[in-house]
Amino acid sequence: MSAEPQRTLRSLLVSERSSFLDDKNRLSAQVQQHHLNYKVSVLLPECSSAPSHLEAALNSFSTFYLIRKLPLYELLDKHFLETAVYQGSVYGLSYRSRIDQENCVCLTPNGRLSLSLDKDSYELLGFEGKPSCLTVYVSVSLLVSVDLTDSCMAPGGRGYQRLLKGLTSRLRLQVDFLLSHPGGGALQSLLSRYDWSEHSPEVSVRSLSHLSCPALLTSDLQSCDPHSLLEWLGAVDADVSCENSSSSFLSTLVCPEPSRTASQSLSVTVCGLLLPKDVLRLVQELRCYLEQSLQVSWVALTVHGFTDSPVSWGDSEHGVVTGGENFYTLLLFQDQTYQLHLRNSQRPCGGLDPRVETVTSLMSFLMLRFKRLFSS
Amino acid sequence: MKSDNKKDEPAVFKRVVSKNASPYNYMKVSLVLEDESTRLTAIELKQFIITGLKSLYGEVGAALSFDLLKYDEDTLTAFLRVSSRGLVKLWSSLTLLGFYQNQACAFRVLQVSPFLLALTGNSRDLQLD
Repeated sequence: MSAEPQRTLRSLLVSERSSFLDDKNRLSAQVQQHHLNYKVSVLLPECSSAPSHLEAALNSFSTFYLIRKLPLYELLDKHFLETAVYQGSVYGLSYRSRIDQENCVCLTPNGRLSLSLDKDSYELLGFEGKPSCLTVYVSVSLLVSVDLTDSCMAPGGRGYQRLLKGLTSRLRLQVDFLLSHPGGGALQSLLSRYDWSEHSPEVSVRSLSHLSCPALLTSDLQSCDPHSLLEWLGAVDADVSCENSSSSFLSTLVCPEPSRTASQSLSVTVCGLLLPKDVLRLVQELRCYLEQSLQVSWVALTVHGFTDSPVSWGDSEHGVVTGGENFYTLLLFQDQTYQLHLRNSQRPCGGLDPRVETVTSLMSFLMLRFKRLFSS
Repeated sequence: MKSDNKKDEPAVFKRVVSKNASPYNYMKVSLVLEDESTRLTAIELKQFIITGLKSLYGEVGAALSFDLLKYDEDTLTAFLRVSSRGLVKLWSSLTLLGFYQNQACAFRVLQVSPFLLALTGNSRDLQLD
């Protein structure tokens, strides 16, 4: 008899408590390390309308560009490298390419170009890479990571010539590319050559009445179990009702106990290619908001990364098909302390995918059926 | 002044790492039916999934508790919550559910995660056109 099928997705949650008054707090570095952000959601309990300074911060996220059918060798253009990449402030990601099926590219402000390629494309490119975390699930996938600020990658250098030749003659990759650069002026010459459009991050505001919130939530990590707290935040974000009893048929999801009801709350989400510096500015505004409104004891901020980006935290992969989503939740409190919950997977490679497990358990089940059939 | 503050402040930094500690897993699934005009209520959908669990894993399987957190009747898309130990059982029974009231059907598993928050922020939903 086969073992009970019960293996779960890997999950790693890092919870930190610190204070803004502590000089050694690493919040700013941690936010900046998460380069490619897709969605920011803010939950303001006991708030009927956001104050103007907070609203301004939510509405002033930098705009970004969508360039259609951009050949990748354009990212190695000398002018683009000098005006955008070397300045260390450019963010780019391929749009609508699925990392488990297609080639994906991203450009991070540390000047690193990361390409997630299938085996054929990798061999055509002829540039050194390493097996990616996806290899367990997708047939073969490789990650090529190039530091464009390195001396051998300077225009004219050996590495540069090799990559340029690969991208212009052997692997003519064209992708729809999201690009963000403060000011955007440096991108004009690149944009002028292709079909492009400018987009502002989309802001949506939802007003929630009679929301059950966890009472007694403090910066102490033991005041509320992080998993229950994140579950509740997810339920609020997904508009899932927590008003259930333990005997209801459909759902038994409830708000973490003890709970209280907030008469009026506000949930604001911003979607698009969002820059870490804008997130940091929002965090500052949220701190100001907490200082001004004394009846509010905490606010929550959640930042989601892109599912299909080859790298998430710093230069590490997030293993999208092995349960390696990348997001973090920050809870800010009145006394300048904060809780930070980081969902990452430092070592996402390896581990059995439940999809594989599902197939295996089905196979063993069918085998058992066949055996019985033949023996009778 | 600064040093005074520091004296008063207790050491606040704390770091806790929890590994595979998530009690639940969350699935976003959609039901595809041969006849697209067929509509199911949330209760019918949950009953249908329980039938699938029962046919694959028997009475014990049917006793597996899972929650239907959210359901959109127009797109037949649902959020399910299941204890981490029961994920593979639920997933495999969804895979083998092939018929709903004598018409062919299939469950598409769109996203699975140990965190409900991950299901609400999927960048594949980004529409810029």
